[in-house]
Amino acid sequence: MISTFFGLDALSSSAAMAAAFLIGLAFGFSLEQAGFGSSRRLAGIFYFRDMAVLKVMFTAVLVAMLGLQYASGLGLIKEDQLFFMPSIYGPQIVGGLIFGVGFVMGAWCPGTAAVGLASGRMDALVFLAGAGLGSVFFNELFGVLKGLYTWGDRGVRFAWQDLGMSAAGFGFLLVVVALVLFWGAEYLEKRRTVGGEYWRSPFLRSFSAVMILLALGLMAMEGRVAGDRPAGLQISTSALLAEIESAKDHMEPEELADRLMRGEPGLLAVDIRPAEEYAEFHIRGAVNISMADLPEALAGRENKGIIVLYSNGMTHPAQARDALFRMGFTNVYMLTDGLVGFIDRILKPASLWTEPLSAEQRARINSWRQYFLGSEKPQPAQAEPEESLAVSQPFPPKWPGLVEPAWLAENLGNREVRVIEVRAQAQYNSGHIPGSVCVSHDNFRGVVGGVSSMLQPPELLAGHMSLMGIRPTDRVILVSDDKPHDATLVAMAFARLGHARFGILNGGFPRWVHEKRPVTTELPQVEKSQYPVPSPDVFTVMHKEIMEVLKAADHVILDVRPTEYYTGEKVDEARGGHIPGAKSRPYTEDLSKYGKVTLLKPPEELSNAYTSLVPNKQTTVIIHCRTGHQASQTFFVMRYLLGYERVLWYDAGWSEWASRSELPVEK
Amino acid sequence: MIMKESMGPKPYMNPYLAGVILGLTLLASYLVLGAGLGASGGIARIAAYLEGGLAPSHVGSSEYFGAWGKEPLNYYLVFMFLGVFAGGLISAVLSRRFKFQVERGLKAPRPFRLVLALAGGVLAGFASRLAQGCTSGQALSGSAMLLSGSLVFLICVFAGGYAAAWFVRRQWHD
Repeated sequence: MISTFFGLDALSSSAAMAAAFLIGLAFGFSLEQAGFGSSRRLAGIFYFRDMAVLKVMFTAVLVAMLGLQYASGLGLIKEDQLFFMPSIYGPQIVGGLIFGVGFVMGAWCPGTAAVGLASGRMDALVFLAGAGLGSVFFNELFGVLKGLYTWGDRGVRFAWQDLGMSAAGFGFLLVVVALVLFWGAEYLEKRRTVGGEYWRSPFLRSFSAVMILLALGLMAMEGRVAGDRPAGLQISTSALLAEIESAKDHMEPEELADRLMRGEPGLLAVDIRPAEEYAEFHIRGAVNISMADLPEALAGRENKGIIVLYSNGMTHPAQARDALFRMGFTNVYMLTDGLVGFIDRILKPASLWTEPLSAEQRARINSWRQYFLGSEKPQPAQAEPEESLAVSQPFPPKWPGLVEPAWLAENLGNREVRVIEVRAQAQYNSGHIPGSVCVSHDNFRGVVGGVSSMLQPPELLAGHMSLMGIRPTDRVILVSDDKPHDATLVAMAFARLGHARFGILNGGFPRWVHEKRPVTTELPQVEKSQYPVPSPDVFTVMHKEIMEVLKAADHVILDVRPTEYYTGEKVDEARGGHIPGAKSRPYTEDLSKYGKVTLLKPPEELSNAYTSLVPNKQTTVIIHCRTGHQASQTFFVMRYLLGYERVLWYDAGWSEWASRSELPVEK
Repeated sequence: MIMKESMGPKPYMNPYLAGVILGLTLLASYLVLGAGLGASGGIARIAAYLEGGLAPSHVGSSEYFGAWGKEPLNYYLVFMFLGVFAGGLISAVLSRRFKFQVERGLKAPRPFRLVLALAGGVLAGFASRLAQGCTSGQALSGSAMLLSGSLVFLICVFAGGYAAAWFVRRQWHD
């Protein structure tokens, strides 16, 4: 039994590429030997001058046809190992006619032109360039051609089936027709005094005899094995075809998604791809059964419940479904357009749809995505940047929290959505998110009570907000470059003002650019606002409060500076080391970098890391670094992303602690 | 004289024998790859790759080429196409048939022949995308499987060719 690359789903493996190259070598060699490196010879058939095209092509069809039928008749190869092209009459008729005109004009076809080019024919080079252009035109016109492209799609159909004949019977007929044409061509050439050297030649006589004998042998073999076939084949085949025609054998991705989400009992989605591909990704709830194991694995489910088969495309499920149908299963469906279609129609974020979507459609897509990607989403940790970053989720953000570029892009025009870029002025000037303002995080800091680099008091912060035209009801999106802690430091200003509706753009400006979102150099129109001044916040602590907390039982101090500062190996202040009992968790541990894009790690990963440091969400946590800058990021992660309830920010940080000699230090 | 003749191009192979070799190649393609021969698919992928080099975002977002992903060349038919070229080159050199020229009738102007070759290429390239195959992928490979649509395509190719033959005959006038 032969396994083909197609049957193994390995047509894109490098071994298949090498095999295709070798087959191409033989293909090109035989075309050239036949004289098809000459356009003049190819065109000859259309002027009845040189009938070589007819002779070579039909002989090849006969040989391959007989070979295939013998191979399957002798059980060397099974149908599921072969790719059968569907019959789509509309494009095949129109395309065939246009192709014929192109063929006689150019006097090349794609394969022979490659051989012609290899023979030094410059008209072949021009033809190939034209064929490339024609392909580009087709791509450009695909939108309007789509109707024709699928018009008259009848699935896989055999001519002998349509004519009510047996395959071998039709094969014999084809051999006879071809031989008549061969003899006719030889006669014609002889009459025209060019070629025709095989007319009545012993060669053509014996060649014809061999072809007839092979075709007769095939008929004899088919007659012998016909008894093995199930008697009901004809009936079930027509019932099957009727079902295919009425599309009762398909289930649309939307229907499957909804039914899976409902948890419908008796519904079984079966992934028939190789186990590795299943392990990589599959539709949530689907089981993995290889094609060969289907009959056995599905044994108890014959006509009970609903079985939906899928693979990447449609061919394998269609073949499996037909085989199961012949075995008596009438409850097997295949997923329309396969996994590819499912990804395109169910899992693609609403923001990437080209057609306009209604609010309900958006909500539906979001709920599908949440269900099918939520718990089984492939971890982006080790994936390539393009893959892990290509699709951003347009979920409405939780305030305060992370905002996906897709959501922001959708809400850019909204007057209540304000974007603050915490990036360098020069970089902002050369391109920024439309409507955004640019501010340095240092604008919000200053000397407070003798300590430098402290977040300013609320009245000053409110003044900044008023100048930027920000109102307390606005949703504010903070955008950093590759340092998320620049954005989280500004987030501390909003937290201090009691402004809860803020978010950090996940991945910052580099991700925005990576996703090819709009960028402008125009400055926004900003109207001054009157931002109210609130009372002081409750999460900022100084060294005195920390000394109090140290006495209490349930607390953790997190030092987020680089480890060498925590251990005291490196010292930039009066003293090195850390606050007694403090744990080290460098803020950089919460980040992962993909190329130029810096992301916070996925919530599950962060949650695991912090649960081991601080198991209880009610524990008092004090976070500090040197000046409060890096600590703002950890504060954001623990307070807003992970939901720790008592998170305190020691803004003054190590620069204050180290300089007060009365405070204890541990190394 | 004899020397001269022996240095000229070798005669073409017996067309029936060439057809048998081509048929066995096609059979091998089915038994090894599980799919038939193809040429236009390789050309279209190369075209998509080249257009992608000029306008990556346009090609990436286009519905037909876009579906081929970022590396359209990573496809077996592209490698087969390269093989066809290499196999043709080996055969042409061995048979001393390699010659730089624009093939045409003696009385046909070279630009006339090249314009027809270009226009024919555009039509054939377009039509083979529409019909999902060319003489190799549909007419040859599909007919050998006795597929209805492929046989219909084969008949239409010759119908179209014979219908247009008279209009473009001058390129072969001697």
